[in-house]
Amino acid sequence: MSQDNLFPQETNFSPENEIPGIRAKIIGIGGAGLSLIDGLRFDNFQSVEHLAVDVDSRALADSLAGEKLSFGRRHTRGMGTGGEHTLARKAIEEEKDVIRKKLDGVDLVFLLAGLGGGTGGGAAPVIARLAREAGALVFAFTPLPFSWEKSRHSMAEECLADLRKFANAVIPLPNDSLLQMGGADATALECFAEAGRNVSKGISAICSLVFRRGMIDVDFVHLRKAFNRRAGRTLFGYGEGEGENAIRQAVRELLLCPMLHLPDVSKAADALLILITGGTGMGMAALQQVSSEIRDEFKAGEHIVFGAHVDENMGDRVQITVLGATDLEAGTPTADVAPAAREVIDEVLPKSKVAHSSKLKREIAKSTHKTVSVEPRSKKKDDLDQNTFEFMEAENQRGIFGDLPSRNIYAGEDLDVPAYLRRGVKIAI
Amino acid sequence: MSKIIGAVEIGTSKAKALIGEVAENGVLNVVGMASRPNEGMRKGEIVDFRKAAAAVHSALEDAEKMSGTTVDEVYLAQTGSHLKGNMLRGSASVASSDNRVDVSDLQRAAEEAKRRKPDEGRTYVHHIRTPILLDGRIVQDPVGMFGSKVDLGYWSIDGDDHAIKQALHVISNYSLEVKDLILSSIASSTMMAGPDLRRAGTLVIDMGAGVTDFALYRQGFVACTGVIPVGGDHVTGDLSMGLRVLEPYAEKLKIEHGKAIADPIDEGEDIWIIGNKTIGDRSIPRKAITDVIHVRIAELFEIMSKELEGLLDPDELKGGILLTGGGSLLPGVEQIATKILGFTARRASFPSGIDPELAQPENATVLGLLHYGLEDHGLPGRIKEEVETGFLGKFRKMVGLGAQV
Repeated sequence: MSQDNLFPQETNFSPENEIPGIRAKIIGIGGAGLSLIDGLRFDNFQSVEHLAVDVDSRALADSLAGEKLSFGRRHTRGMGTGGEHTLARKAIEEEKDVIRKKLDGVDLVFLLAGLGGGTGGGAAPVIARLAREAGALVFAFTPLPFSWEKSRHSMAEECLADLRKFANAVIPLPNDSLLQMGGADATALECFAEAGRNVSKGISAICSLVFRRGMIDVDFVHLRKAFNRRAGRTLFGYGEGEGENAIRQAVRELLLCPMLHLPDVSKAADALLILITGGTGMGMAALQQVSSEIRDEFKAGEHIVFGAHVDENMGDRVQITVLGATDLEAGTPTADVAPAAREVIDEVLPKSKVAHSSKLKREIAKSTHKTVSVEPRSKKKDDLDQNTFEFMEAENQRGIFGDLPSRNIYAGEDLDVPAYLRRGVKIAI
Repeated sequence: MSKIIGAVEIGTSKAKALIGEVAENGVLNVVGMASRPNEGMRKGEIVDFRKAAAAVHSALEDAEKMSGTTVDEVYLAQTGSHLKGNMLRGSASVASSDNRVDVSDLQRAAEEAKRRKPDEGRTYVHHIRTPILLDGRIVQDPVGMFGSKVDLGYWSIDGDDHAIKQALHVISNYSLEVKDLILSSIASSTMMAGPDLRRAGTLVIDMGAGVTDFALYRQGFVACTGVIPVGGDHVTGDLSMGLRVLEPYAEKLKIEHGKAIADPIDEGEDIWIIGNKTIGDRSIPRKAITDVIHVRIAELFEIMSKELEGLLDPDELKGGILLTGGGSLLPGVEQIATKILGFTARRASFPSGIDPELAQPENATVLGLLHYGLEDHGLPGRIKEEVETGFLGKFRKMVGLGAQV
């Protein structure tokens, strides 16, 4: 794995057919966020702006982002927060108005923030809230510290829960599992680069879905409708194939994507975004087949956004990206969201949908038997208890023990989480 | 007249029922045995009462059918991470004027030791007596000896009320009485570690599907027991996630190809997941399987080593470490245990005279229950002057346990 193909042909869409009117902003917050945003390559998306936010003015100066915002000077005198997320939170609250201005008119926000750090952990939930209030759809990609960094880890979990309240979809990227990325003898740095690449592909997929015309088109309204709830667990995966059976290979790689096989990742999605990009030779029949396969795999509900784009530069390669979310908290009141955001939620969330039931529970029941039975979905089941119950389960997605109500904590570590993940042992398959 | 006794273990992977007949001469014959997959339990605790009960009931039914008899009461194994052990101590001055120790002295010491009540919402599961000290010397049976003060202690295990009641309900729903609750680790070590080993000092580790139980013996008595909520299911779960295969395939890979320690012979070998090389089948390096298992098993022993910190004394553990339970079948576990715990570990073998069909490590606990029960039944006549019932009956059983086997 060499460095020069780190971001292969990300920019494979021609800018001419970009759909005007919709604005997206990628916001990198804190150290990890800045390095992620610098890794992205979206030169071709004219409506996508980059914003770097940090308290550390020196780090900010080095960033490649087009727009920069330093905050908290009064608190930190331009240095880092030293891991104090309460400090960052206080500081960012003071800059609310500036941020509101920056978010004005933006429809789609991608937050990139490492939640183990002070700045990322403290500021990300606040910015997510402000973005939501401004009416934007918010996707967050958040690296999490290793589980052996115990205090940072528990702080990150706190921030993650906070962020989940506001963002439409939060895709956690635990460092533990990022080590599983890449080839058999990839170094830690290469693994992180690979993960960054995947994030970049994910954002690129969503952007191209929104801004480009494709073979099967979806517009922003569809995307917003599918994801316009506060999300519970999410899933995010990427696969690529090449050659004669490119699309099959891509599906296979997608299903093996390490990011889909983490203890915290949902196995079912209420809202699912599937984006397939391929060369001119991509057949409609194969697309259909693959989309229904992926749909089954993630037990997707009625909110499916499926997009297919043809790109001549792809040759015989096919890329598949999936992003899914379970809307577990649909039944719970959204009191902690500011009024403006609530309007946004209510607008697209008619009353009848309030008790939208998740497939997560059924998935767990199934996981012990491998028969995949297609049960009629009782979506309209308005049962508050069931909702609370599902939420409880969802909070504990820990592999095969995910359905148990209590965590198996020993000396600060959850023993139900695979040992190899916690110990950073790379499993090459 | 022969007696019928039963034993039930509600295990995480299987519910097992065993029926034994104790002949007049004290010889135990296993006359019925059945096991049923148990889907109502995770990590040693009942999560689905009806499923667990159904598994136990059908195992009991089959065992009764096989034996042609019925049981009225059973010994029930208890495990789960909710169990906590404490050392309780009590002492009493010898009351009689001639300074001969009387049973009543022991009784007073025991009462004092057991005075401490468990916390709110918890119940004692098992009191295991540790050595009796007569004026500071360890004695097997002080009754009738001269001395001024007796000390005794109990390794007492208390557990969550709710969890224990659930297990008891499973049995009472089958119209059976639970004669006694016995700690799983004590049951399996009763079976696997003979009196010599216990005297020499030994650590018995029972690697189950849901949890790993251990019991440390020193000078013939229990010094510590514990439950680590990690078992074979965790290995399966790790494999499922690490290799990205469905759980049933992960289980199959574990059983057929699992090794806890890398073997140079396997270098470069690939394993087919489903095995028939059909569409959807793919191969994975054997090393990946070993790696996943190794990390988990090593961690398990590391936790155990932490739990037993300060108790693993080379002079007190001459018997080494015995591994039993289904997990002990995994090749390489004994090497890892030896390396991490620092004492020679080996797979425990059953004493002779056990039906080879029954003599599987996964049956250690349920067989141990029966043998524990056998000791109980074998008592009458041993210490004639004592009353048989109530507290004393139980107490005497404890005294008897240390003395015989």
